[in-house]
Amino acid sequence: MNVIVEVKLLTEEKRMFKIPVGPQHPALKEFENFTFTVDGELIIDVNFRIGYTHRGIEKLAESKTYIQNLYLCERVCGICSAAHQGCYAQTAEALAGVTAPPRGVYIRTLIWELERIHSHLLWLGVAAHEIGFDTFFMLVWRDREVVMDILEMISGNRVNYAMNTVGGVRRDISDELKYKILKGLDILEERTKYYKEVCMKEQTILARAANVGILTREQALKLNAVGPTARASGVNVDIRKDVPYGAYDEVPFNVIVYDTCDVLARILVRVDETLESIRMSRWILEHLPQGEIRTNFPRRVAENEVLSRVEAPRGELFYYIKSNGTDKPERLKIRTPTLANLLPVCEMLKGCYIADIPIVLAGIDPCFACMDRALFIDENSGKRWVWDTKQLRKYSIKWYKEHGEEVVRERWKQ
Amino acid sequence: MSEETSFENEVIESFKKVLGEKFVDGYVKGKRQVFIKVVEDAYKEALKYALEKWSAYHLTTITGIDTGEKIELLYHLLEPKSSLTITIVTEISRSDPKIDTVSDIFPSALVYEREVFDLLGVIFNGHPNLTHLVLPDDWPEGVYPLRKDWKPEQMK
Repeated sequence: MNVIVEVKLLTEEKRMFKIPVGPQHPALKEFENFTFTVDGELIIDVNFRIGYTHRGIEKLAESKTYIQNLYLCERVCGICSAAHQGCYAQTAEALAGVTAPPRGVYIRTLIWELERIHSHLLWLGVAAHEIGFDTFFMLVWRDREVVMDILEMISGNRVNYAMNTVGGVRRDISDELKYKILKGLDILEERTKYYKEVCMKEQTILARAANVGILTREQALKLNAVGPTARASGVNVDIRKDVPYGAYDEVPFNVIVYDTCDVLARILVRVDETLESIRMSRWILEHLPQGEIRTNFPRRVAENEVLSRVEAPRGELFYYIKSNGTDKPERLKIRTPTLANLLPVCEMLKGCYIADIPIVLAGIDPCFACMDRALFIDENSGKRWVWDTKQLRKYSIKWYKEHGEEVVRERWKQ
Repeated sequence: MSEETSFENEVIESFKKVLGEKFVDGYVKGKRQVFIKVVEDAYKEALKYALEKWSAYHLTTITGIDTGEKIELLYHLLEPKSSLTITIVTEISRSDPKIDTVSDIFPSALVYEREVFDLLGVIFNGHPNLTHLVLPDDWPEGVYPLRKDWKPEQMK
């Protein structure tokens, strides 16, 4: 009898893994499946399975030219498309020994920072949505439209800007445009300052984010966490400061580090970084050098190998290119920040309640909605069940309505 | 030129001294980017040395390259405070690619080794959970998409 049940469970599990998640989803590179081992409400262990949207981009890149690869790399991720394309372009430039002109580099850096603003605001909205604070979610996303409009004014696109090319950027910024961007940045700064105040004072957020999803500094260092996730655990790493690229060795900015190691710290790191990015964008616009925006790039690249990193909104993004003398790369390797933050997020989830899963998972900013479904195993009864994000979110909001007070009281005691 | 790359050369020299004959090659690719090529059985020693001497604690990723006769493994390390990037390069047999796991030194290698295993078929001895990471569960055995002789057309 037992055996039959086991077999049934296995086939059920197998069937579950095969459910296809749109391979051409616009936003997601990593669609993950997490398996949680729970004891009552407590999470004991976490396992993950990724690869649902693996599109074989690294293989495909070997059969495309350096120019074609620009647009392929841009499509690795919809949210941080400029980070990917810019990182690819700067790696290819280093590979061929080409230096982009200063104005091109400044415009590229500006797009990176505007993208960080849009990505962090998007995340802030998602985080608010995950804890059931939908008013905040809608307000943040309304104001995010300001930066989306700025990006559209510059590039003509909201998501894939196609601004970079190997050897510089493709579009210039006129004085008229500069004025419009500066005006937009003023609105963004005012609103983001208000949101920071809300995040620090609003009980709805504090109750769900403070002391939740702890990742200690030691764990973050040991598991090589990257980006805001690491900085929220007191690790002072930022590729923009550590390995300066683009115009970051000239642009003044602060690295935001919080040391409370919880979801609240991850929220505040991102809000503060948004403010920092707004200031940086303004500085770049005011100090935009004159001159060309791009230079020539050879069609064929001699044998060489180069790696480079950028600080994408989610953390360290890594590109490695090896050339072989033809017009196509021999090998292109991409390491996205979410992959680096997978082990840290598993560590964070251990010891959390089931109801904390949505916000803790969202806390690392996994490409938008990584968690399409979750499988639960009750340690004592061996019962298994599957939930999707929507059910889980509903459950978490309901659970906190019932148990919220005692849990929060306990957390504040610590 | 010599002044600009003196720090990089110092790193290469230190590896040369420690590894002796196991050191194959060392070269500089760009500012603060050092590549150290070592023989197969010295890669772990080199990684440990990079961690202890140069405190390059951040393993960014592991890149696997099919060079035709061999499989090349690149361990990209970073020491953020001095912007030092050390890449440990080693070559292993292509017909029977096996190498020990480094997850005992760098826990984050657990994920990256699975990726290399999946796409290039390198077996990492001692890895606790060497299963598919990015490929589907029903992917045929012994088919490794990032090897040069595999073409997408072969997929039915």
